[in-house]
Amino acid sequence: MKTKDGVYKLILKNIPVLLFIVVFVIFGVFSPKFLSLASFSNIILNSSYVGIIGIGIMFVLLTAGIDLSVGSVMYLASASAGLLISEFHMPTIAGVCGGILAALAVGAINAFCIIKLDILPFVTTLGTMTAGRAVGTWMTHSESVNLPKTITSLGSQKIAGIPMAIILFAVIAVSAAVFLNKIQLGRQIYAVGNDPEEARKAGINNKKILFTVYMLCALFAGVGGIISVAQIGIVNAAFGKGEEFNAIAAAVLGGTSLAGGSGKVSGTVLGAIMIQMIQSGLVYMQVDMYIQPLISAGIIFAAVFLDSVRGHYMKKVETRNIRTMNVEGKQEVLSLAGEWPEKEYTAVSGIKISLPDILSIQP
Amino acid sequence: MKKLLSVMLATAIMMTMLIGCADEKQSSGGGESDSKELTIAFSFEDLETEFWVAAHEIITDTLKKEGYKVIELNCQGDANKQLEQVNDALTQEIDGIIMIPVDGDTAVTVTAAANESDVPIVVFNRPPTSDEGNNITVVCDNATTAEATVDYMVEQAKAKYEKTSKKLTPCILVGDLGDPNAIERKNGFYAAIEKEAGIFNDVIEVPTEWDAATALANLQSAVQANPDIDFIFSSSDFLFPTIQSVVEPLGKWQKIGDENHIILGGLDGDATAGKLIDEGYVDGTGVQDLFFETEEALKAIVEAAQNGETDPDEVIKDPGFALTQGNLEEKRMDMWGNAVGAEQ
Repeated sequence: MKTKDGVYKLILKNIPVLLFIVVFVIFGVFSPKFLSLASFSNIILNSSYVGIIGIGIMFVLLTAGIDLSVGSVMYLASASAGLLISEFHMPTIAGVCGGILAALAVGAINAFCIIKLDILPFVTTLGTMTAGRAVGTWMTHSESVNLPKTITSLGSQKIAGIPMAIILFAVIAVSAAVFLNKIQLGRQIYAVGNDPEEARKAGINNKKILFTVYMLCALFAGVGGIISVAQIGIVNAAFGKGEEFNAIAAAVLGGTSLAGGSGKVSGTVLGAIMIQMIQSGLVYMQVDMYIQPLISAGIIFAAVFLDSVRGHYMKKVETRNIRTMNVEGKQEVLSLAGEWPEKEYTAVSGIKISLPDILSIQP
Repeated sequence: MKKLLSVMLATAIMMTMLIGCADEKQSSGGGESDSKELTIAFSFEDLETEFWVAAHEIITDTLKKEGYKVIELNCQGDANKQLEQVNDALTQEIDGIIMIPVDGDTAVTVTAAANESDVPIVVFNRPPTSDEGNNITVVCDNATTAEATVDYMVEQAKAKYEKTSKKLTPCILVGDLGDPNAIERKNGFYAAIEKEAGIFNDVIEVPTEWDAATALANLQSAVQANPDIDFIFSSSDFLFPTIQSVVEPLGKWQKIGDENHIILGGLDGDATAGKLIDEGYVDGTGVQDLFFETEEALKAIVEAAQNGETDPDEVIKDPGFALTQGNLEEKRMDMWGNAVGAEQ
């Protein structure tokens, strides 16, 4: 019985991965070349920049915030780097650093408005989204910026047979995961997202956390922009437009909650790859172009729906486990005070439990 | 402290706005002639490609040079914003509108608003999706221009087929499906391919949504799924650098004459395409006659405004032409991209 439950739980926990594999195999059945290593590498390569931006936006979403400016930051960073190199004849590395600095400047403005001026993140980043693109088009006069070979060749460079963009994506993803799970500042992001007031009472500097996440988001948007440009070879006025939604979709598809406090780097990476995999799969199968967006939306909707069902069942399974623990005499001390209204309570162990479940516990 | 910062920020914004307004007044007052008092609203979407940048520059510069007051409205690719901006302009007693619509449907909606206010309107380069309302539409014959370009590419393909007896695999980078120009270009492509269907395998369609990143990802997938692709038509010249990024690592970015050369064509006639044709990487491109289109648009709106015509209804077609390796010497400087490039 226990083994059956264990398998059931394992399947539930890994529904996103299973769905990913199912979709991959289905595309492979219809187009066998899709199942090749080269195809998979191509999918990861093309999802690398959205994945990087998605990780950045995930930091912000973890604090229950939002950053709509990432697409404009991508454009601003890439256009600045391109102009510094081609117009001001700066060395490539200095140009790229200049582009990243431009991205960080937008991040600092976002953080300043949100933390110091108490302006809502949605409003602030909506403003910087428009302003960032306006500055970019003003700098370029809407003209395309051609980047030098030193940058565009990065898009096709490989180390040990692995494209440079994939390596950078992996390094950023692993660093972000380590930061969130092993570093105190990273773990505090979850606490602030769960309950900012409780986090503040616990001694966490909320402002420092918010500053960190908006700066990281801008940094990753800048890096993502330059990685994308290295592959495309040109920055035009439309560059990065709408990418904020792809990045948010990748994070949410990977299980990041828009309400904050929950989300994983691995999920966001999977989300970004999944979005690209669907798009590539449809091109491999040469599905009618008018139908492609419908199928794409259908699969993404199914993925999010299954994830929400999974969350619901996981909660139920965990609640059942608490009851079992109590029946066996392992009493949980519940951090309850005063009235017992109809809401979810948290045991000191961190497990969430609802009132009907508490009342039904037999000591 | 927070209050002080808010006040400082608000003051800075106000100052910027005031300075901006002052600039506007100076420039509009600095026209060459005050005798003409026509005010033309010029509504455009984001200037995302060289074609739009050049069109915008020619239209605004010419109008200002002629002494007309120009109200520029940049809707940044937002159809609703474009309608709102034009509606706002209509309350400012304008004498005419030139618009580059976000899409064909927006052209219809804005035309209706202009007709209701009895203001003549010219729709530039992107045709309305229906005949409702009265406007002057200046548009390139996209299907014919694309067909002429692909006809030349097919000639090259036929020569290659006769040499190798191997069918070619054609691929088209399709633009945004909401843009009538993209659909017309696709139709022109197929019309040419079907003339010699026997030398081609099935056509590979690659959606781009007029976005370089989408084009890159989808073309990479298409090339991987069909490594034999050796004939690519890009619905817009701005995607040539993206095509280069995909095929160069495969050793297929080669000049004409090389056995690995991909027969390559586009449409627009921008400076990048001009350079690539000169260098021998691109076989041909369809050229929209930008100078003809802007001249006709300006002539039409000025005539309508001066004659008090409130709802002129006409379609002015730019026949376009194909600039190919075959007629390069003769037509090189007819291409706006080369002409603008030479001026710069």
